[in-house]
Order: sequence, then C-alpha cells, then structure tokens
Amino acid sequence: MRMSSFWQSDTFSGWAFISPYLIAFIPLLLWPFFQGLWMSLHDWNLLAVTFNPDAKQFIGLSNYAQLIGGDNLSWSLSQFWPFRTVLLVGGVTMFLRARRHNRFDRGYVWTLAGLATLWLLLGIRGDWYDPRFWIVVRNTVVFVAWVVPLTTLTALLLAIALNRQGRWAAIMRTVFFFSQILSVTVVTLIWQLVYGVRNGFIANLLTPFGLESPNWLTDDQLAMGAIVVATVWWSVGFALILFLAGLQQIPGDRLEAATLDGATGWRKVVHIIVPSIIRTVQFVMIMQIVLHFQVFGQSHLMTQGGPGDSTNVWVRYIYQSAFRDSEVGYASAMATLLFVFMLMFSIVQYAVTKRQEA
Amino acid sequence: MKLFKLITAGTLAACASLGTAHAETELELARFFGDCADAGTDIDTAVGEACIIQTIINAYSAEDNDVTVKTLPTDWGNYYDQLKAMYAGRNAPDVHVIHKHRIAEFASLGALLPLPEADLKAAGIDPADWVPRAREAVSYNGQYYGVPMDFHANLWHVNLDILSEAGLVDENGQPILPGSPEEMLAHAKQVKEATGKDYLTADFAQFPIGVRLVLAMLWQQDSNVFSGDEATVNTPEAKRAVEAIVALFDGDYADPNLNYSDSQQAFLAGEAVIQINGTWVVDFYDNQAKDENVALKRYYTADFPTLFEQPATWADSHLWALPVTLQSEPEKYEAALDFLAWLNNHNVDWARTGHLAVRESVLNSAEYENLPHRDEYANTVNIARDNPPSVRYSAIQDVLNRELQSIWLQGKSIDDALADAEREIDRLL
Repeated sequence: MRMSSFWQSDTFSGWAFISPYLIAFIPLLLWPFFQGLWMSLHDWNLLAVTFNPDAKQFIGLSNYAQLIGGDNLSWSLSQFWPFRTVLLVGGVTMFLRARRHNRFDRGYVWTLAGLATLWLLLGIRGDWYDPRFWIVVRNTVVFVAWVVPLTTLTALLLAIALNRQGRWAAIMRTVFFFSQILSVTVVTLIWQLVYGVRNGFIANLLTPFGLESPNWLTDDQLAMGAIVVATVWWSVGFALILFLAGLQQIPGDRLEAATLDGATGWRKVVHIIVPSIIRTVQFVMIMQIVLHFQVFGQSHLMTQGGPGDSTNVWVRYIYQSAFRDSEVGYASAMATLLFVFMLMFSIVQYAVTKRQEA
Repeated sequence: MKLFKLITAGTLAACASLGTAHAETELELARFFGDCADAGTDIDTAVGEACIIQTIINAYSAEDNDVTVKTLPTDWGNYYDQLKAMYAGRNAPDVHVIHKHRIAEFASLGALLPLPEADLKAAGIDPADWVPRAREAVSYNGQYYGVPMDFHANLWHVNLDILSEAGLVDENGQPILPGSPEEMLAHAKQVKEATGKDYLTADFAQFPIGVRLVLAMLWQQDSNVFSGDEATVNTPEAKRAVEAIVALFDGDYADPNLNYSDSQQAFLAGEAVIQINGTWVVDFYDNQAKDENVALKRYYTADFPTLFEQPATWADSHLWALPVTLQSEPEKYEAALDFLAWLNNHNVDWARTGHLAVRESVLNSAEYENLPHRDEYANTVNIARDNPPSVRYSAIQDVLNRELQSIWLQGKSIDDALADAEREIDRLL
C-alpha cells in the first residue's frame, strides 16, 4: 500500500520527470565540474598524468594565488579613473534615487554593495604574478560590454520593424535568423572573407574609390571591433526571435491606446514597447552576458588573440594553458573563476526577477 | 536441384574466400600540412606539401601489404592541442608527425615509443644513412623516438625581376643581398626609389615568422633567447635585431600588418622583392612563377643572408613518431614500422616540396641535386640553427610572438617589450 502511494506521489512523478535530464546532467556536467575543481587544486600536467597518475601534486589554492595574486600591492585612486568615475556616478545616482523614493530593498543594497566593491577592487595595483590573466579578463569584459548592448539594441529594433504580417517581413525574419544556425567556424570564415585586406568584401567595395582597406584583424585599434561586429551579426538572430515572441505578447489595445494618445515613433518604443517587454530584454541581456563571457572561436580563429594579446580572451587563455602548455590544473583554476564570474551575473538576474515579482 | 547446387557452390565459394582473406591492419595517422583534394597514388606528379605527403600515404595503402592507413582530420593551427587531447583521452593515433622541437616534451612524459635500432633495421630503415643532425633530431636521452623526414628552414624567396630593376643583381645574374642591417636598409631604400615596391614581406602579424627572423639575427650575433633556466631576451643583441626590422617598417619598406596569406599574395603579385618564408614553399612558388597569370616571373631562392657576425637561419625538422600504446599491439607496431620505412624510402619525393632531405644517400643522389633551385640554397643545411630543446618551447615562442607584435603593431617600446618577454620567459623556465 505504501509502495503504491509512493508510485502515485508527487515526489515520484517529480523525480520521474527530471531523471532523463539528471542522467545527462550528472555525468556530463556535474561530475566534470567537481573534477575541474579538484584539478584546480593540483599541479597537473595533462600528458604526464595520463601516463603516470601519480605525477600530479596537491598544491591547495596556489593556482588561484598565482592567477590573482601579486607583489607590492597598493591601492590607487587614479587607476582606471574614467571607468571608475562612471561607476561612481552610477552608484551615487542609484543611491540618491533610492533615498528619494525610500526604496532600500535587498536588491538595491546588493547592487550598490557590488558596485562599491568593484570600484574599490579596480584601484588595486601591483606586480601581478600573471599579468596576462588580467589582460584577458579586461579584453573579455570589453568584448561583452560591446557585444551585449549592440546585439540587444540591433535585435530589438529589427524585431520592432519586422513584427508585422506579410511575406516580406517573414523573408527578412528568416534572413536575420539564418546567421544563428551557422557554427563559429563558418561565421569566422565568412568574416575573414569580409575583412581580407587584399581581396576581402570590404576591400573590394573600397577599391573603386581608390581607398585601401584597413587591416581589420591585425590593427590593434580595429581587431576587437572587427570581432565584435562579426559576433553581433552572428547572435542577433536568436535575440530577434525572443524579442518577436515578446512583442507579440503586448496587448494590441495598449499600443492602440498609446497611438491614440499621440505616442509615435521613438517615444512609443521607449515608453510603451520596451517597458512592456522589459523581462524579455533582461532575459536576452543576461543570457548574452553569460554566453559571451565564454567567447573563444572568434578570437582563436580570426585573430589568434593578436595583435599582441589585444584580442585574447579568457576561454582562449584557459585553452592555451590546458592544451598548449599542458597545465590543466592552472587552466581549471581559471575556468573556476570564470564560473564564479558568470554565477554572479546569474544571481543578479535572479535578484532582478525576484524584485519584479515582488 | 539446380538451385540447391547453386546455393551449395555459392556457400562453398564464400567459405573459401573467408578462409584465405587476410584481416587488413588499419593504422590511424595524424598529420598537419593541410588537405589535398583528390590526392591519388601518383607520387611523381604531386605538388605541394599536402598533396605529396597524401599521395605517399595513399600509395602505401594501395600496395599489397595488408595495411590501410587512414589519415585523421586534423587542423594545422590546433594540431598539437588535438594530438595532446588524443593522447590524454588514450586514443592516440598509431603514427603521427611531430616537430623536432616537440620531442623533448612528448618523450620526457613517456608518450612516445622508443624505437630500437634493431627494429628499425629489421623494417628496412638504416639510421646510419641519416645525417648526424637528423639522428640528433629524433634522439632523446640516447634513444630514437622517430624517423626523420626533413629539415626545413627560413629562406629568402626573391623576385629577381624587381631586384634587377633596382640594380641589385650582379653580372652573373645573382641577387645582391645585404651583409648588415645598414646595408639591408640601404637596399630597401634603393628598391623603393627605383620601383616603388616593398623590399620585404613576411607574416609579422600572426604566424611566428617574425620570431624566427629575430632568432636568426640573434644567433648571427652568438646570442639566444634563453640559456639553461635563464631568459636572455633583454640584451643589446636582441635590441639590434629588432631595430633592424623596425627600421624597415618605419621607412615603409615592409608592411607588418600582413598575415601569412596576404604576405604570400603580395610576393606572388610582385609587390615585394623578398619574402621570408620556409623551404616548404619552394616548389609551390616555382610552379606559380610558370603561371602566366602570376606576376612573379623570375623566382630565385637564397640562403638567409648573414647580417651580423656569423651565418645562421632558423630551422626545425618534421619527424614521424609512434605512441607508447603501440607497445601492446605487436601487429600494428610491425605495420607502423613498415610504413615508416616506406616514408623513409620516399625521402626524395618529400624533398620536392623544397625541404632538405635527411638521408645521405638521397642528398648525394642526382635526383635530389637536380631538384629546382636546390643549388641556390645549398648552404642552408650548414647554417640551420634552432633553440636548445625545452618542454616550454611553444609557450616561449608565443611570448616572443606577442611581444614582437606589440612592438611593430601596437607601438610598444622595444625596451619594454624585451623586458616583459624576458620576465615572462623566466617564469616559464
């Protein structure tokens, strides 16, 4: 009797529903994740350990210390001052607004505390043990800071333009989504053909005007921008579909009322459309932040991280450390830090969603 | 009844054929050199690294030897990462190509199978026929870890038409190449003024040709990037070498932004007099020069000139190695050795690419001596140099590549870049 009630219980059906996922999740994601954590505490050479399992050495948190530590550490007010001033202004504005509306809920406090911590941490300077790590972190953040807003804005505008009946709009929706189905290898190949200095698409467009193509991928002023544009082109399709789904949820009478009230063009977008799909906007942005922090293929295939290290990114440094240098322990530590970084953004998303639900 | 007889005969025939058929041994092979579309088995007509090596492999498979060699899909740029992942996943290829500079890393970790001289001889490979440098290239701790296939080195690929237009060809039609950095700059100026063309082109932006150029110029001054466990990058010799190259960029006599393919196109299109690249393009350029649609017409190949005190040029070797896992598979081991012997016997065919042969008997053959341009870079074998073996070779090369790029592509000062490179290489050693 007890058994039959178990079979009929919610607990059983709950487990039954998630078990197909768990069968894949535990051995393919959870187990490697903990294995990665374990490896990050070791001096672990990929090939040496393959042929002699005892070749690894437990070193505790040394890999982490090597990554983020340094000598002669000090704190400076002027370091990264333009960016930190922006942070400061943003934080102070948030604080003043919260005080005016007397809205000091948990989400606000956490966000303000996060901004303040970031502002303080950015002032630390010193002789870093691994300066390359900070370079790739900076490059990755710069990449994400360009790609996410550009993709979101482009996709949103395209979605608003294509959110209508008719064959033309349907064709254009398909065209813009098309890039999404391509693999990173194909995308980078296409864009290398676009950027080619001698016979590239842009070079061919410029030739009739007697202009020479800039060195898109080997000029350090242009290389990151070139990768960003290729990535936006690649990712805009997915965001577009999500926005189209969001736009179709907006009640028609709301838009009609706004039109009757005289809201047109830009004002309608800013005051009616965007607030109506703000949850979709947030979802798209957080998804993209998490996705683009893991950028690898574009940097590896288009610029090989160069010139110098100017387009080298976090995951490419993990890849180089693990496979070229065989230092999988060190690479795992770097991967763990990337996980923590992305987890922070997921928590922010969770907090924002919670606040809105409340 | 007739049907019954037919079925019986058919069954008997099938049994007989099963009884006599040999099981084919399949060897998985990993290599770089690129893909060759429709590579057949005609070794004599193949052109270029990819097609020559693939036809050699295909021809072996087509032989009546019960061995099939399957070439695994690998990508040039990520070859060693893929190879390591295969080893780490205990799924190493049965035979693979490897550079000399990687032997220290792979052999010291126990990944490669040592090849006893007796086994090599039994398979028909005579290590005594390899030149001493080649024996050294495949040796680690007194044992052979592979079969050498070539030496490859940096050469100066010359467009004689532009050079003679600039008056830099002697009465015998031989190119006049510089003997010092100052002379190199003067020649560059002379070419620019006479023809408007760039003096030199190479991939300074991605592939480490720039590093190999600087290394050669260091060795020419009896200097090096590391000595034992100590980095020796931040030296007056290194500064002199880098300054010599930067002067060409500053004078607009060379473009540091071109990548491998662009610099190759620039040379073939007759936009630059000299391309610094390896031995691997000699037969390709020679064939291109015969094509009427290609601007390069009079192609010449020169030894890397001595710009400082002593001659030297960057060099490495391609070798074939077996994984240690073959130890427990005697049948495959035997087949792999037989295949290595086939490769060793086709050393002269591989040398058609432009690479230098490793066997004395090949080097002294008329067939080898008659290969195009061979006499023009005959001295390269004597001036070829490389870094001492190091398990961190690739990481060191990457540091140099990044720091040198930061000088000519990002405007970093030579002193800062050399100091940073030295610090990072010290950390690696």
